[in-house]
This record gives sequence, structure tokens and C-alpha cells, in this order.
Amino acid sequence: MYRVRFHGRGGQGMKTASRILGSAFFRSGFEVQDAPRYGAERRGAPMFAYVRAARREIHERGVITRPDLVVVADDSLTASPAAGTTTGLDEHTVLLIASTETTRTWQDRLRHRGPTLALPIDPADSASLRFVGAACAAAAAQLVGVIAASDFEAALRDELAPLGEPAATQNLELGRATWRRFEPHAGLVREGPDAVASISERPDWIDLPFDAARIATPAIHGAATSVEVRTGLWRTLRPVIDEARCRHCTWICSTLCPDGAIEVRADGGPRIDLDHCKGCMVCMAVCPSHAIESIPEATADAHAPEELQP
Amino acid sequence: MSRTLITGNAAAAWAARLARVDYVPAFPITPQTEIIETIAGWIEAGALDARMVTLESEHSMVTAAGAAAATGVRVFTATSSQGLLYGLEMIYTVAGWRAPFVLVNVSRGLAAPVTLEPDHNDVLAARDSGFLQLHAATAQEVLDLGLLAYRVGEDERVRLPAIVNLDGFYLSFTREPVRIPDPAEVDGFLPPFESGGLGFRASRPVSEAVAVLGGGPYSYFRYEIHAAARNALGVFEEAAADFEARFGRRYAPVETYRADDAEVVFVMMGCFATKAKAAVDQLRDAGQAVGLVRPRMLRPFPGEALRTALRGRRAAAVIDQNLSLGFGGVLYGELAANLCGLSDAPILASFIGGLGGRDIPPSEFYAIAEAARDAADAGAPPEPRLLYTDAELREMRRLQGIAAAERSERPEARR
Amino acid sequence: MSDTRFGRIQDLPSTHLLGGGTATCAGCGGLQAVHEAYDVLGENTIFVNAAGCMTLLSIYPFTPFRGSWLYTSMASAPAGAQGVRDALDILVAKGRIPPEEDLNVVVLTGDGAAYGMGLSATSCAIDRGLDFTYFCYDNEGYANTGQQTSAATPRAARTATDAGGAGAPGRKKDLFGIWIAHRPVYAATVIGSEPLDLARKIETARGIRGPKLILALAPCPTGWNFDPARLVEIGRLAVSSGVWPLKEYVAGRVVHTKLPRHRVPVEEYLKLQGRFRHLFEPQRNEELLAEIQADVDAYWADVE
Repeated sequence: MYRVRFHGRGGQGMKTASRILGSAFFRSGFEVQDAPRYGAERRGAPMFAYVRAARREIHERGVITRPDLVVVADDSLTASPAAGTTTGLDEHTVLLIASTETTRTWQDRLRHRGPTLALPIDPADSASLRFVGAACAAAAAQLVGVIAASDFEAALRDELAPLGEPAATQNLELGRATWRRFEPHAGLVREGPDAVASISERPDWIDLPFDAARIATPAIHGAATSVEVRTGLWRTLRPVIDEARCRHCTWICSTLCPDGAIEVRADGGPRIDLDHCKGCMVCMAVCPSHAIESIPEATADAHAPEELQP
Repeated sequence: MSRTLITGNAAAAWAARLARVDYVPAFPITPQTEIIETIAGWIEAGALDARMVTLESEHSMVTAAGAAAATGVRVFTATSSQGLLYGLEMIYTVAGWRAPFVLVNVSRGLAAPVTLEPDHNDVLAARDSGFLQLHAATAQEVLDLGLLAYRVGEDERVRLPAIVNLDGFYLSFTREPVRIPDPAEVDGFLPPFESGGLGFRASRPVSEAVAVLGGGPYSYFRYEIHAAARNALGVFEEAAADFEARFGRRYAPVETYRADDAEVVFVMMGCFATKAKAAVDQLRDAGQAVGLVRPRMLRPFPGEALRTALRGRRAAAVIDQNLSLGFGGVLYGELAANLCGLSDAPILASFIGGLGGRDIPPSEFYAIAEAARDAADAGAPPEPRLLYTDAELREMRRLQGIAAAERSERPEARR
Repeated sequence: MSDTRFGRIQDLPSTHLLGGGTATCAGCGGLQAVHEAYDVLGENTIFVNAAGCMTLLSIYPFTPFRGSWLYTSMASAPAGAQGVRDALDILVAKGRIPPEEDLNVVVLTGDGAAYGMGLSATSCAIDRGLDFTYFCYDNEGYANTGQQTSAATPRAARTATDAGGAGAPGRKKDLFGIWIAHRPVYAATVIGSEPLDLARKIETARGIRGPKLILALAPCPTGWNFDPARLVEIGRLAVSSGVWPLKEYVAGRVVHTKLPRHRVPVEEYLKLQGRFRHLFEPQRNEELLAEIQADVDAYWADVE
């Protein structure tokens, strides 16, 4: 069975990517199961989708814990353990990351024991960012090596049709180009084995102890515990305040920030809470002195993501 | 302490009064309305220091009850049938809030077709919700089980709301002698309401009833409700022992009547079980070893006590005043699971009766006992019987004749 | 507005009470209004929530509140508010808690519940004279489930259930009018892009006992289909075009707190939103645009 996971942010087209691949497998004669999974169902929040394909009826169900291929459409997700991009990776798994950075950079950075590939994104070409879902699907279809070009093309058309024009054709062109680009890697992904009963791990069952109602009901006794959730990781654009232009006007940005992520310092200047700013850019739009600009989040800090477990 | 003649509904109201409840969110529905009217009168007269608020639906009423209990006051409410089902979303929800209070359900058959008369399908719809569930057979029991429900539900080992059920009409509107306990004695039995570390206060912020994502955490919270409900078995025994010491009346989760040496037992809940007691006496007089096993507690399910009562009997005739449509009797199904695998379990014979208040006359009890004994002799359970007679069918046909009668188009042409 | 503590925008709180890290969309107009209101309401507040987008503000174990919160159901948040309010009153009256432990009870609801399923509980809570604030963030659809049409959806808006043709066929229900027919002690419309007006109205509501409505238009980037950065621009256009009148009902009278002198044509507001794009592309739908403008004109003709 082929087991593929796509990771992205809400709005990046990972559900469509999984359906393109699922349809392509189906047209090629496979039994298929594909589905999206959302955490918070919000634009910008991490989500994933998955595809199973096999030559016989598929009985497995639910999230894929032993993937043969993991496709990451937004490389910033590799820095977020909650996004789960590396769950279940082993030396057999092919890891494909859509990125402006190179394959070599990602190999060195993540030290994944299996094959690591970059799907190139050209920052100068906005299409490569907007239609990254189609590109991911194309690369994945090529990497499994068992899908005919005509079946892939037909699946692309079917799944992109609801987008209407011109989006459908733009996605189609990028999908085709990516399909051709990944021809040298055809078949890199191999089917993974099924679980084997004799070697499966024993579940660590316990008898759940009785807990006092105060903690055994979904009540949160702390104030503002949400600050531990770093929604700053949703950002693709970062607002930056030019201190020279900021006139400490009347803290308009602080009031109008929807998340209340801008506070006013003792000296009267605004400070953006980058742990929680989601990058909506309302502050930039409302600043009367135009003292706020946006920069791409990907290049905002020149530091590497945290070390990950393989 | 002398006894007074009061209805089952009045006994329910007395439980609320003696428990010194603070808050009574209400909504009227037949056949429970007398309960809230009685309480309203007492509040008006200054006999009960509580606030009664009429909500606009039972869904809102249960929400208000749970929210007030979650804030930290002792709450009483009552409903029936359609009202209970209208609020059922919130019945499940407030149990998950771990907000203890007592809801008296006056049992009434469910639409369709709509009826005012009793059976148990309404209260049984709540059996999976996390509420404790107690079934009263007499007006005295209504009052006493009401007090026990507060004591058990508020215990820190439980912290769950409870339903006390009484049958409409045959108990709700029927007067019986009841000993009303002395309020000071009840104060000794039932301490003031404690909020158990939950409750909304300016000095301690809390976000309650929040959403949970992930099967692991969700399962934890649901399993904990189950564990609390199971704890209620032991807590009830303790409370019942204290109740007996103070008031002289003993309540086991399962009542047995002349069952110790019975060959055949009836198994029933609610006030029609007293009719079964009458039949037991009559059958014993006729030389048959018959008894009654009556669950007072349905949730938590008193499995151990039921096995003790039923093992070694040759047959048990389970008379369900309810019908799980497409399956059969609910109590029957739960007992079958409870007794599964025991080598000395009785043969279970299933009977459905009393729907919509349909009477179960003595002759039916005798025939049921005979059928159960025959089943024991045959070593095999009989087909479930839905109690219904030929005479009833003939009457039904007559009514259908009227309902379907053709009328001529011009009224003046009729003779 | 002479004795308000919010005279100028500098008077608005500069640290914000609501914690960050919640799961609302980037650029959420509802959250903008909620956080502005919370700054004025203060932490001695309990939000009693009806099912909607804001329900996911608190996902175990994370909550943004420094005060309290109780999620109830979709239809019965006002009844939950009744239970909490009555219980607090009883606890104070019976001396079981000191008065300082009391809380303001605020229902937090979206339009989905407020304009539909929750109307019965809301109406009867007002009848009972419940002392509570009913804060409705109105993003004009069942947004949490993907922006299906609700009774708050305006004419011609495309939604998940009116995805083609001329968009939603009905007209937006007048919730403000329904509320004031009940003669509450206070009702007001607000919007996050007018923070001073919003703060003053919350402050006014805090000072009155009884049932109070705060109805906040909540422009929704995800459901209305616009770049989140335009949140405030669209909010201001909602007001300057006259689509969203800012008004108060107090002492039996409706008073507008902002009277747009020269109303901007309504299409300036509509054309920035993807849900109305079909009115402009592939060609302009002059008939519908004229109808929408006429509806707005008719409203203000009654006011002027």
C-alpha cells in the first residue's frame, strides 16, 4: 500500500492536492482512500491530508502513522512540532519540502535518514506559491512511479475544475511543469509493508483512576493559558515597525489589531508580540504614518528551525 | 412523626423543600406541574427560601439548572416526557459539567402518538447521559430518594446530577401516607451545598465546559464521568445506611420482595411493581414460590446486587414498561448482559406492558408467572410477549371504524 | 457623550486583556470587537457562550480569558446566563459570597444563534428582565461551519449554500428592531473599526442593569472573501456607506451615534468583498446594485 501525507496551512490547497493524487491513483486502477484533517479549521492554521492507495480493498482508516511519502507545502511547518510533519518518518520515507531553499540545505538541516527532496519555489513567481498544492500533487504522483501521465492529467483537470478559470488553467500548467520536472525521480517512493501481527507492540492499557471533579471536567483554572499557543507560526508575512516613522500617535495599531497582539510600551511606542501575531497586516493598513511594512516571514530571521526528531 | 396523605408530586416538592434548595428553574408540563406549583406556593408563603424562575422551554430550563449548579447553588427542577426529550441535549451536557442537582421526572409516554399517561420510555432516554437514575415506587420513596439523590450527587466522589423518576398519574396524582422527615434531621443528613472547587467567582477565573480536540482527552473526560457514576454505588450504600440510622427506612439499590426462596421472580421498576407485590402475595397464597426483584437504581447499574438477587432463580419474568422499538425491553436487555455467562442465571422471559398507562391486571401477572415457570421447565427462553388482548384488539378495530368511517358529502342526507 | 471616560482614542486601554494564541482566523472582525469590548468590560466578567466561531477561543487546556467562561449550547446561552446570574444573586443575598466576588454576565454569540436558533431563549430572557449583556458578533452567516446562509446574511451575498446565481435571496433580518420591540434597557450597534464608539457603548451598558444588546458587525475575511489587511477599511466603509448604522436605543428612543453626512455609494463597500464580486464581474448587475442602494437610502430617509 502507498501511504502519503500532505502537510500545509489551511488555504494552501493540501486537500485538493490529496484529491488530485487520490483520483490519479484511482484512474490508474488502485483502490483509494483520501481525506483531509484539520486542527482548528482556519485559514493559516496547520492541517494535513492523506492518501492511501493499494491494489486490493483498503481496510485501514484514519491518520497515517507510517508514511511512505511526506509532502510539506509550507516549509515553516517543519519548525512546529504541533504540525506533525515528521510523525512516523523512518529511513524508508521520502520527504518532499516545497521551499525556496535547496535539497542540500534541507538534508543538512533535518538530517532525515531517508531521501529528502526540495520542490523548488521561486519567490519571484507568485504562481509557484499560490498553486503549490497542484505542484505538490504532481511531484507526489511522479515520485510513486505507478501513475500514467494521462491518468495524472485527467485527475488534475477533474479536481481543479471547481476552481473556475483562470485559476484552473494556471494550476494545470504548474502541475504539468512539475510533473515533467520530477521525471528523474520517478519511482523513488516505494510501497510500505502492512503491520505484522506477530511483531506489533502491546498496548499499555491501564484502568483509569478516578480524579476529583474539579480536574475531571473540561475546566481551565488558569487565566489566559492560550498564550502558550504560538499562533505567530501561522504567519507568512511579518509586520515590522519603523521606529523613526512611528509617531506614537494614539496607538491606533494596538487598538485595531484583531488579536490584541500589539501593546504599548512605557515609552509610548507600540510593540508587536511576534509569538502571537498572525500576520493579518491590519496594523500596516491603518498606521497613519505608514510606519509599518511587511516582510516575508521565511526570510525574517536568519536562523534555522529547531532540531527535529526523525 | 406521624404520616400525612400526599401525592407523589407533593412528595417530590417536599424533597426540594427539605433539601433547602436555592433555585428552581421551571417549565410546566403534564403530569409534573403540581410539583412546581406547590413549590411556588411555599416560596410565596415564605416556607422555602428559594428563587423560582420559569424558563421558556425545557432545553433552557436544564441549561439554567446546570449553570446555576455550576455556579454554586443547590438546584431542583422537574419535567416529563416531551419536556425531558426537548432538553436532552442539555441533559447530556450538564452531566459533563459535573454540576450536581436533582431533576424529578414524572414519567409519561412519548409521542407519537402523544399521550398524557405513563410509561418509562422518557426517563430511559436519559440513561446514557451521565445522570444518576433512581426509580420510586411509592410517594414515600419519591421523597426519600430525592434526599438521597442530593446527598449522593453532591458527594465529592460523585459530583453528578440525578434523576428521580415517578410514574405519572398512578403515583404523581395518587395520595399515599408519607412520613415527612423533620427538617432539622434532614439538615444533619444533608450538609449545605459545596461547590467542589468549581464555580464562577471574581477572585478565581475559570473557563468551564470548553471544547476538547483529540480522542484521548475526550475519552478521559467521558471515562471519568463513568467512574464517578460507578462510585455512586458505594456512596449510595453509605448514604442509605446513614438515612436508615436517622429515619428508620432502609433503601437498597435493588429491592427484593419474597425473592430469597422464589423459583420465579418478576423484575420491574416503578410503581406498577407494587401491583407485582400484590400478585406475589396472591401466588404465594396459591402455593407458588414467586417473588419480586425491583431495581430502585438504574444508573449506576447495580449489576452486583441484581446478580445476587437473581442467581439461583429458575426464571425471571422481566416486565418492561418501555419498548426499545425494533429491539424489545430495555431492562431485559441490560439484565441479559448482566447475567451473561453465569451458570446459575435464571431463564429470562421478556414482557412488555404498561405502555401509555395500560393496566397490568392480576390475571396477567399470574399468566406471566406461569409462562416463566414453563420456560424454566423447557430450559429455554420464550419469545418476548407484548401484552395485548383480543378484547383490546376488538376495541381498537371499533375505534378505527369510527376514525375511518366514510361520511356522505351532504350532511343533511345522513340519517 | 459628555461624561464618558473615553473621550479620545488615547483613553482606550493600551494593554489588552484577552490573551493571544486563539484559533480565530487572521484578521477576524469578530475578535477585534470582542477584544476591544473585553478591555472595557474588565476581567470580572463571565462570558456565557453560544456555539459559533468564538466557541473555539477556548480549546482545552488553552483559554484566552482572564475572567470566566461557560460554553452552553447553540440555542440556550441566554438561559445559561440566567442560571449564572440568578445563582450569583442568591449567593450574595444569602451571604455565601462577598459582593466583590460577583461577575458581569455577558452572553457571547454569533449571528447564527442570535438571529435564529437562539431567538426564543433571547426573547424570553429579555421578558424576564435578566441583567445581562448580549454581545453578538455578526459575520452575516454560519461562519464556523464554512459560511452558510443565516438569517443575518444580506441580500445578494454569496455563501456556501447560496454559491451561485444572485447569492442569498432574502434580506438581512433586523435583530436590533426585534430587540427594541422587547423594550430592553439598552441596545446598540457597534463595529471594531470604530473603537471609541464601541468603548463608550460598552461603558454605558456596564452602568445599566437589565437586558442589553451590543450588536457588532464583524467583517469576516474568510467568509466574505477579502484580504485580512482590509478589515478596518471595510469596516469603515460599512459605516460611511450607511450599510451599518451606528445607533443606540436608550430610554425608549433610537439615537444614531454617527450620521454619515455624505454617504459613500454602497458599491464602494461591496466591491471589496469576494462574496459580492458577482455583482461586478463578468458584468455589473445594475438591478441588484440599485436595489441594495435603494434599501440603504430608504433606511436613512426614515432617519433624516
